[in-house]
Amino acid sequence: MKEHCREILATAYLFLDGEGLSHAERIEIEAHLEECAPCLERFDLQTEVRSIVYRIGGSTPCPEALKNRIANLLEQA
Amino acid sequence: MANAAPVNLSADDKKRFQEEALPLLDSLYAGALRMTRNPADAEDLIQETMMRAYRAFDRFEAGTNLKAWLFRIMTNAYINTYRKKQREPLKVSSDELEEFDLYQELKHHDTAYTHSAENVVLDQLVDSDIIQALDDLPEQFRLAVILSDVQDFSYAEMAEIMDVPIGTVMSRLHRGRKALQKRLLQLAQDRGIVKTPPAGQRGNGKPMEADSQAGGSTAS
Repeated sequence: MKEHCREILATAYLFLDGEGLSHAERIEIEAHLEECAPCLERFDLQTEVRSIVYRIGGSTPCPEALKNRIANLLEQA
Repeated sequence: MANAAPVNLSADDKKRFQEEALPLLDSLYAGALRMTRNPADAEDLIQETMMRAYRAFDRFEAGTNLKAWLFRIMTNAYINTYRKKQREPLKVSSDELEEFDLYQELKHHDTAYTHSAENVVLDQLVDSDIIQALDDLPEQFRLAVILSDVQDFSYAEMAEIMDVPIGTVMSRLHRGRKALQKRLLQLAQDRGIVKTPPAGQRGNGKPMEADSQAGGSTAS
């Protein structure tokens, strides 16, 4: 991967992570992704993996019994 | 359990903690489960976190992020208490990770790769594969990926939670994501979703330089 592509993809992660990007940085990423198909596909792949991790990594809710136990402990503390 | 000390909170603070912290239990539990990797330890960790937080709640700065504050307490409790009994996670070298490129690997391993093939591969992995890949990450990478990609904390919040500079957060997150993708690829190979390359042709650790011949790139 070219160094420029590497930098663009790293900055694109800041975008995915909701970290502030300057207007110029956003323009640079958009322009690059339009003209570099592998980077666009890499960006899509990053987005996809991140959303799968979000969906599955956080999918187990707290057991009701534990919620109740903690609520009781707080009442008694 | 460290719940012996009396709680010195005003009635208002007690009420506020119950109203504001209890609804965060689902997020906290998901975080605890991926940190400890087993439900029994996750339950203990959550209970300890909530009791510690309750006792310290008068030091919580109103108006700041309560979820981040609770995660900081939980991360500390995890590191101090539960880490010791965790199994040793997968070892990965930084250089190997730096060069790992899931996109290139998917193209390399499967000549039938098309634009949407990455989704086909990812779609065939089951939930337990994703959990396995997360659980196998070295601890610091795992924490970074959980806090960012599962819990959606900002880099600044993660720096507070993990008590490291933002640059360290970003580097752990970067390497953690690479390690996760590498593990996902291995799992896809194990399950026959992606063809395993012949011995001696593993792409691991090799410089990935195929972009310029791969077509589609007009940038130079």
